[in-house]
Amino acid sequence: MKIVVACKWAPNPQDAEVRPDGTVDWSRSKSAVSEHDPVAFEVARRLADATGGEVVALSVGPAASDTPLARKAMLSRGADRLVLVADDALAGLGSTAVAAVLSAAVRAVGDVDVVLTGPESVDNGDRQVPMTLAGHLGWPGLGAVGDVQAADGGLVVERATDRGVQVLDVTGPAVLAVAADAVVPRVPGMKDILGAAKKPTDVLALAGLDVPAPVAAAEVVGTARPAPSARGRHVITTADPAAAAAELVDALRAAGAL
Amino acid sequence: MDFGLTDEQELLLSSLDDLLERECPESYIAELDATHTPPTAFRKALHEAGFASLGFPEEYGGTPVDATTLVLLAARVARQGLNNGYGLELLQAMDILEFGSEEQKQEILGLLASGDVPFALGFTEPGAGSDNAAMSTTAVHHDGVVTFNGTKTLITNALQSRYLLLMAKDPAVANPREAISMYLVPMDAPGLSTNPLEKIVWHISDSCEIFVDDVTLPESCLVGVKGAGFKQLMRNFEMERLVIASQCWGLAECAYEDAATYAAQRVQFGKPIGQFQLIQQKLTDMAIKVENMRNFVLRTAWMLDRDVPLKSQGALCKRYCAMAAFEVADEAMQVFGGVGVTVGTRVSRLWRDIRGHRFGGGTDEIMVHIAGRQIVKDHS
Repeated sequence: MKIVVACKWAPNPQDAEVRPDGTVDWSRSKSAVSEHDPVAFEVARRLADATGGEVVALSVGPAASDTPLARKAMLSRGADRLVLVADDALAGLGSTAVAAVLSAAVRAVGDVDVVLTGPESVDNGDRQVPMTLAGHLGWPGLGAVGDVQAADGGLVVERATDRGVQVLDVTGPAVLAVAADAVVPRVPGMKDILGAAKKPTDVLALAGLDVPAPVAAAEVVGTARPAPSARGRHVITTADPAAAAAELVDALRAAGAL
Repeated sequence: MDFGLTDEQELLLSSLDDLLERECPESYIAELDATHTPPTAFRKALHEAGFASLGFPEEYGGTPVDATTLVLLAARVARQGLNNGYGLELLQAMDILEFGSEEQKQEILGLLASGDVPFALGFTEPGAGSDNAAMSTTAVHHDGVVTFNGTKTLITNALQSRYLLLMAKDPAVANPREAISMYLVPMDAPGLSTNPLEKIVWHISDSCEIFVDDVTLPESCLVGVKGAGFKQLMRNFEMERLVIASQCWGLAECAYEDAATYAAQRVQFGKPIGQFQLIQQKLTDMAIKVENMRNFVLRTAWMLDRDVPLKSQGALCKRYCAMAAFEVADEAMQVFGGVGVTVGTRVSRLWRDIRGHRFGGGTDEIMVHIAGRQIVKDHS
């Protein structure tokens, strides 16, 4: 089974600053593997180990995203090899265009059985790429995936919905966006990190890819801080623990939290 | 001069950060401290992620690594607020991997894998510490066995260890340098008993008196060469001092960060106390000391990695870092005011734990004894 993990070398939000107008200053952020992508890698590695398959990390981004550190970071997460499309024409692209490039890269990898992604990228958080990618490929796209198992040449996919857990048989290739809590990803150790430098990386030229022209596009045109929630400002002053607990429960009930 | 980290070091520290966030939050450390419990679960997680065998030879499942990387990791764990959380057990195990029998190696590696502390170092005695010539615990070899008698004290982690790496001397050998041997003695050996010592620092590591009364074991408990025990132990002293110094750096940085954050939040006279110059001076001097510790530790590690003779460097580094770290913690506590001495405020625990490093692994004064003689010798 050939499993592709679409991952992103993204700026770390810990060092980002939200400006008063709601826009984000990423200039001081160091890049790392996007926060939830390690979950997709972990699901992929387990699936590959169970089926004797291969995990291919796939990342597209501007030229600056191809660094030795980025390569090692992605390859230390359990991938067998890495495929990169790094071109400044990809800088600042929206999710629709990124999904189109990814779809061309997946086709270039060839014979892919499943593409796994995280639920969203840590910087943009659009949640558009996995489903748009599935659309470009003409494959089923499923989000909130908690578990994937191989069965009879296809996949059994478990995912959470508002009404409970759904189990699906998927025949043929699919794009699966894993839930952030699908598994706890392993932490790469020194062996994984040293081993990463020895794994192969293929760099695909953007010009050589058959990128589909977008039929339609959804682009982010504005961002704003969430509206501040109104605070209850209920201060419990009693020193008696039992009375304080009772007062807290009453306050939470009144607020509709219990 | 390149102050940057290698890709591998950056990725390893990033992995360690993930592990610390997941397995070693402040609530966990505070609970260990309050209940005087060792960090077994965290040690196990470190092992599972491959951190507990860094520096070990590959034939024992380890990954060779340089001293710089090891001290970076030790400092990062300490910066989380956990004292003695990484590095020291690793060094102890190196003694066994280098000098132990195959059976001893397998036993120690197995214990490390389960998150246990394999052994406590039985060196200090009521009448002998840094003055090792005064050691009085005896090991008498006879009829294929060896019989031990004596008393050890202030033995760290004795209660949580399966073994005691006992340093004892052959009473028939006059030269103390050739009389001391190293033995791996089970803590439950008949004749061996402990008396826990309550202390005000290092709550997650117990300290004990150990009474060795006619403990008799097969001679296979000898580690390495008979009479070479002290030399064997000395092999890792430089690295031990460096790991302690890196812990001091990490713990001090934690205290400094806490103090700076508190100073930015605590409002008095209508503004955060960090806006008063007296507090700013404290924070500035703390920042200088933290930076000095970092540079001292990394340069010493750099020397070790390039086989540059350390001479007095290890002792200077350990002395400076232990003393400077305590000064930083003390000033951090001062910034917190009365809150700083309350149980549950992290800075109070850091203050206690750093204080222990001014004698653990050799006192500030013994570092002068080591470095001072070398300095005079170099200039004579």
